[in-house]
Amino acid sequence: MRVVIGEDEALLRRGLTLVLENAGFEVAAAAADGAQLIDLTERHLPDMVITDVRMPPTHTDEGMVAALHIAREHPAMAVVVLSQHVQRRYAVELLAEKRQGIGYLLKQRIADVETFCDDLRRICAGGAVIDPEVVAIMMARASLDDSAIGRLTTRQLEVLKLVAEGRSNGSIAAELVITEKAVVQHTSRIYDTLGLLIDDDGHRRVMAVLKYLSRSSATADG
Amino acid sequence: MPQLAVNRSDLGRSLRRALAYLAAVVLGGSTLLLVILIDGQNAPAWAFLVYSGTCWLWFLAGVFAWWRRPSNGLGALLVLGGIALTLGEANSSTIVAVAAVGVVFATAILAVVVHLLHAFPSGRIRGRASRITVIAGYVVAIGMQIPLYAFNPAAEGLPVFIADRPDLVAVGDVVQEVSGTLVMIATTVILAGRLRRAKPYQRRVLIPLFGYGIVAVLYIPVSSSLLSVWFDIDPLLLALSQVVVVAGIPIAFALAVFRGGFARTGELEELATWLGTPGDRRSDLSWALASVLGDSSLELVFWVPEESRYVDSAGHQVLLPRPGTLRSSVGVELSGEPIGAIVYDSELIDDPELVRTAGRVVALGVDRERLTAALRLTEQSLRRSRERIVETADRERRRIAQDLHDGLQVQLVLLALEAQQLANELDSSAVTRIRATELRRGIDSAAAELRTLVHAVMPSSLVERGLAMATEDLMDRLPLPSSLHLGNIGSLPRTVESTAYFVVAEAVANVMKHAGASKVDVRLAKTAGTLNIEVVDNGVGGASIDRGTGIRGLLDRADVLGGSLRLDSPAGRGTNLQVQLPISQ
Repeated sequence: MRVVIGEDEALLRRGLTLVLENAGFEVAAAAADGAQLIDLTERHLPDMVITDVRMPPTHTDEGMVAALHIAREHPAMAVVVLSQHVQRRYAVELLAEKRQGIGYLLKQRIADVETFCDDLRRICAGGAVIDPEVVAIMMARASLDDSAIGRLTTRQLEVLKLVAEGRSNGSIAAELVITEKAVVQHTSRIYDTLGLLIDDDGHRRVMAVLKYLSRSSATADG
Repeated sequence: MPQLAVNRSDLGRSLRRALAYLAAVVLGGSTLLLVILIDGQNAPAWAFLVYSGTCWLWFLAGVFAWWRRPSNGLGALLVLGGIALTLGEANSSTIVAVAAVGVVFATAILAVVVHLLHAFPSGRIRGRASRITVIAGYVVAIGMQIPLYAFNPAAEGLPVFIADRPDLVAVGDVVQEVSGTLVMIATTVILAGRLRRAKPYQRRVLIPLFGYGIVAVLYIPVSSSLLSVWFDIDPLLLALSQVVVVAGIPIAFALAVFRGGFARTGELEELATWLGTPGDRRSDLSWALASVLGDSSLELVFWVPEESRYVDSAGHQVLLPRPGTLRSSVGVELSGEPIGAIVYDSELIDDPELVRTAGRVVALGVDRERLTAALRLTEQSLRRSRERIVETADRERRRIAQDLHDGLQVQLVLLALEAQQLANELDSSAVTRIRATELRRGIDSAAAELRTLVHAVMPSSLVERGLAMATEDLMDRLPLPSSLHLGNIGSLPRTVESTAYFVVAEAVANVMKHAGASKVDVRLAKTAGTLNIEVVDNGVGGASIDRGTGIRGLLDRADVLGGSLRLDSPAGRGTNLQVQLPISQ
């Protein structure tokens, strides 16, 4: 799988490149700012783009802007955005732009190499991975504002959170120390309550749940 | 504009008496002349009446202007014009001695009009070129008139007649015409120069005034020599048209003078400017001086010795006009110490001594107003200094956050990565693997703490996307139902953005800590030049600025940027906090 990286810190750019190469990814190019990232992406047409939010010249959100641009121009390309500090708004914007193959993660997650690389492979395969911290924010907002979420039991909320994080039934069962069958029962009740269609495809399931959560927690108007 | 009740001084009464006597003598003389002329029956009586009426118009306009603005020389000039016209009128008399006087002064009025044009608006002639042109005007109108009667057979019988020399009359005629033309060309050039230097609103008055004056001066000789030759016009009708043209002149000039000088025409513009200026920039004393001296553009400025500069009554720095410009200034002193200056229009007030005298009269008052102005200046520099401190602090916060983002946070990622790779190495022992993974988790939680710290210093969301997203992120993390209403706040100056963010953050923290609310609403909206922040909860209320519930800190934050805070918190009925921040930069 071919990857283009956007990261302005030289050390981290090298570290990330090494991590990816050791995990079997091919790093086609690495950009140091948003414009260069778009440029190199157009030239190499990789399977996946991984970028930092904040990059030169303004050190604001040019990485995010570039990621949204790439998502629009190349719907099939997986897009992963890394950030020092995560916020719901970026996840909502990415989810609004893409139907599959998106990731939004804290930069610190790189360190847990195996989990990180597993996440990247899932994203490459069309999955969605949103940082647990953002999922937690979305869940909290949703349970405050949304009466349907409020009807879920504590255990169902736990399951919903793990589903939103993109975990498989087996992984959820192991985490909560219950049987996989129990997980399936919980998820189908969650779907009933929230009015979602049951979907066996793991990727589409995550996306449906995330979109539901991001919709119910929109606050800003005007 | 406030009208000022000026006590009539002894000098003022004396002037009025003198003017009344002058009016009585001249009007009496003129009336006597009118009687003589009508009696002589050289022309119809109504023609003499019209001519005399024009003389009186000049004269009365002059006396009125003189009385209203004693320091302005235009009134005296108009009186002189009235006398010159009257003397010229004597021309038509059948009495030899009277007619001789009229012949001598027949065209004197033209020189007076040229003089008026050069002397407008102060009544004094400014510059050497002007002075020479005016003198030349009198020489042409009175001096060069001599050959035209001394050697003209038409003047035979008058005591001023010398000999019948038609050749000399012809030469004299040409010389007078050429010289007169030169005087008018010089006048036009000089006046055009003044027009160029004048302000646009002054031009609107000067152009018609100058234009009319020049046309009037040219019309009289040209109409006499050309119109009467080319067209067969009744000489009486011609003379009447000339009289009408001449009659327009004093009306135009007198209007400009007694209305307070032609600068008054800028009244509306000035009024608009003052209304648009925040605060009361113009003091009562300054109004009084402007009214007394007849210059509505007059300014009173104050000397601040500590800062070695002049300020106006609002405390803003003022630079005195440079010499050679249209504005001048004279200093005001009290017990030998400079305390201020009066800045005035030197076109309008020609005599600096007059302004200086006015300054001496009001010196005590000036000193009092100066102290007020100095106080305002101090207040302003204090505010600016506080603003600078806030800006510096904000810049420092952003720099620290950026440094941590680029440095320590990146290092912690790399260190954790290193630890995890150590754990993942194939030849690592089980113990090493566990301990290295623990180390990685430890570094991760240190990184999480650092994120919280950086967020408190300067939130990433504020740096990356500004106030709207930062506030949204803040509200996202609140443990109670909340809503954010965002108006179109657009982009804001950084200090306003940071201050607004921290105001919301502190206000919301207060709600969490003290209000016991089940709901909090935040509104951000921008109206002309102001950012409005509103934080409303449905808690216990009873918040007060003095009761140590964190509101004092909010007030301080807002106050530094010149903002304001309103708190409405009745016990048991929630709290409504409103902060307004001016968006200046």
